Amino acid sequence: MAVSTPLLRVTGLVKRFPSLVALDHLDLDVHGGEVVAVVGHNGSGKSTLVKILAGAYTADDGSVALAESTDLHFIHQNLALIGELSAVENLGLANGRGAAAAAPFRSTEERARTRELIERFGAGFDIDRPVRELTPAQRAVIAISRALEGWTHPANVIVLDEPTESLHRNEVEVLFAAVRQLAAEGAGVIFVSHRLDEVLDLADRVVVLRDGSKVADEPVTEIDQARLVELITGDAGAVVGDAQSAGRRNEDAGPVLRVRGLRGATVDGLDLELYPGEVVGLAGVLGSGREAVPSLLYGAAPSEAREYTVAGQSYARRSPKASLARGIAFVPGDRGRLGAILEMSARENLTLPQLRTLTGPFGNILMKEERDETDGAMAAYQVRPPLAEQKFTLFSGGNQQKVVIARALRDDPSLLLLDEPTQGVDIGAKATIYETIDAAAARGTAVLVSSSDDKELMRLCDRVIVMRDGRMAAELSGANLTERRLVSEGYGFA
Amino acid sequence: MNNSSGGILRALSFRNISAVYIFIIIFVVFSLWIPEKFLQIGVWRSLLDAEALTGLAAIAALIPLVAGSLNLAVGAQVGFSAILSAWFLSKAGLPIAIQLPVVVLMGALIGFVTALVITRLKVEPIIATLGMSSILLAGMAAVSNSQQILGLGPDYRMIATTQFGGITVPVYVLLIVAVITWYVLERTPIGRRLYAVGYNPEAAHLAGVGVERLRIATLTAGGAIAALAGALLTSRINAGDPTVGPSFLLPALTAVFLGSTQFKGGRFNVWGTVVAMYVLAVGIKGLQLAGSPSWVNNLFYGIALLLAVALSQWERTARRGSAIGRLLRRRQPVGPGQG
Ligand SMILES: Nc1ncnc2c1ncn2[C@@H]1O[C@H](COP(=O)(O)OP(=O)(O)OP(=O)(O)O)[C@@H](O)[C@H]1O
Ligand SMILES: [Mg+2]
Repeated sequence: MAVSTPLLRVTGLVKRFPSLVALDHLDLDVHGGEVVAVVGHNGSGKSTLVKILAGAYTADDGSVALAESTDLHFIHQNLALIGELSAVENLGLANGRGAAAAAPFRSTEERARTRELIERFGAGFDIDRPVRELTPAQRAVIAISRALEGWTHPANVIVLDEPTESLHRNEVEVLFAAVRQLAAEGAGVIFVSHRLDEVLDLADRVVVLRDGSKVADEPVTEIDQARLVELITGDAGAVVGDAQSAGRRNEDAGPVLRVRGLRGATVDGLDLELYPGEVVGLAGVLGSGREAVPSLLYGAAPSEAREYTVAGQSYARRSPKASLARGIAFVPGDRGRLGAILEMSARENLTLPQLRTLTGPFGNILMKEERDETDGAMAAYQVRPPLAEQKFTLFSGGNQQKVVIARALRDDPSLLLLDEPTQGVDIGAKATIYETIDAAAARGTAVLVSSSDDKELMRLCDRVIVMRDGRMAAELSGANLTERRLVSEGYGFA
Repeated sequence: MNNSSGGILRALSFRNISAVYIFIIIFVVFSLWIPEKFLQIGVWRSLLDAEALTGLAAIAALIPLVAGSLNLAVGAQVGFSAILSAWFLSKAGLPIAIQLPVVVLMGALIGFVTALVITRLKVEPIIATLGMSSILLAGMAAVSNSQQILGLGPDYRMIATTQFGGITVPVYVLLIVAVITWYVLERTPIGRRLYAVGYNPEAAHLAGVGVERLRIATLTAGGAIAALAGALLTSRINAGDPTVGPSFLLPALTAVFLGSTQFKGGRFNVWGTVVAMYVLAVGIKGLQLAGSPSWVNNLFYGIALLLAVALSQWERTARRGSAIGRLLRRRQPVGPGQG
């Protein structure tokens, strides 16, 4: 890129944690006008780098230097929004308002500005609701808007840690357009992602981390997806395989789930029938209802339905507990808030929904069996580091997700409801999770996957239901199931 | 992995068992300062006995707190049960065999009602228990006329004063309650779920945990244990005294919070609570023996509570501190390789 001095220069950065070295002498330059992608497997140190840049962690060694008057702006992996405050208030936080801080707070201007920012992402939602009640995608939109707000001059560095994990294509495109615009004006961009096609699309340069060390730093023109996969995994053969689905559906015993007229949250009348052994996808843009369906079916949020039967039995009073008892498992899209208990260990999180199988004669938990089982799962799902006793917060995002998936599959559910199942998961583990889902389907589990990632739906599903305005807009399968159709049906310009 | 040696070091670190180190310091200081008063076996025995009731009150506060309900009514619950015990014996003339179970049941009922206010009426635990505390204090005053209730008969006294091997019954009661609580909290699925509810009720709910029922159960159990402490209190001082109970609140909560910094790395736990409670009591005792005025009690517990909570928040505040540091740093040029 430019020959100018870099906006940001990282030299010899080292960060050690008690159990491992998260960053091992990392060097990184970011120039103005340049988009640098940082990729690597789960736990390779990407978020650690971001946290050091943000000052949340202090490095054990090395230095970070910024050019004169360059500021850093962040979108963190967990978004760092304040859950109790509304979108307007969260955005207001970013503006160094100085003396004006005493002025009325939710002024009409501020609200109008918020609405404008959000509408840039084609998202319309209640900007006065506490953000904790919004969906992950809606929150991502707020965090992104916030990081793009209040720049006084263009030569800053913006750091995005997996900003697109819960975003759908159109939202991603809006974000990318905004990022490209910033880069064109002279900003430096660090973009952390597991979505390699996006990386190749957006970045000028790709930096690959493996176990805390930099293994590659190359212009994007020199590299292709296969090479990238190899660099990340350190293994030439590790590619996410193609679907060998189709024809797994078993209709002999009737549907596992039959729902007529499901209503609740953003869903407005959905009919659904799931048979053992099939994997059904849910696609749709932000607000289409796609993201609400799994939690409604699970009973996590109140819903109505004309008919709701599980294995032929009517199931009216829905709750998570009753669902689990009927063999329904659920992986929420909002991992940090709903998917796990961050203060507890991986072991405790893994076994929490089903402890009966581990209970001894005195009502006691069989500690040894529990440990053995957990260790087995940690190995099978490639959780790094494989420390079952480590507090959940201390795992990287993708590794947390592996544990949450392992937990849902632990009990061999007859119906598995997944919302963004591979968010934040690296390609190696993604392949493992896909294989696990295939295997569960092969054992006769019916799987419903809601995802913003069309490739994922193509890979996993026998058929995909495309939602629009809370209803089914199309059902695609076989030759009709293409990325093009998914997108066009999602927007409704088929 | 060299897990075992590292594990032992961590187990003995100041951070993990600070109460034990504090105890050693207190012990050495008072042993040198007032050895003739402090190093008396009688002093220690009475301490063990008297504080057993504080220990019960602390466990009564601990159990709901594990599931996320801070109970500010523990002191009033102990006090009300103490008065009720005395009233049943002297005014209603109930035999002990009926009086004792009835008092414990009443205590459970009080906890249950508090729980309904919290879960059904959606009142924050702090507010609900504060309100309950006030109601119970009023009840105490009404039943006792704000006077000691005397004339409990000779037998009741025996409960708290009988000794086995030189150790009084309340100490055994505390031990039994603590062991049961420990078992339930740390060894059973119920305990696991209780912690989950305390940390993240929404995620626990999605994991199939019956959040409301567990919350209700903890407050009910806490109420019963507080009532047991109240009944023993009345037996111990051989009178229903309306002034004593409420003073249990501060030592109990202090012990629970200080206890959470012990042994289990930030988790509320029984043995941490019991040990912290006795360590604090030894400190108070030493100060009393050295002749300090009685207001020092409140000062001591107040400071200890603040320090305990600050300590238990240590990790989080440490992180927040660095976030503040970042804001300050950002105003300055960063690093040596500038520009
Ligand atoms: N505070 C901590 N204490 C101990 N280990 C930690 C801590 N924070 C992070 N780690 C570990 O450091 C490693 C790097 O974590 P980091 O979050 O940087 O990974 P990442 O590359 O962002 O992964 P992901 O793609 O899953 O988000 C992980 O193995 C993680 O478990
Ligand atoms: Mg990360």
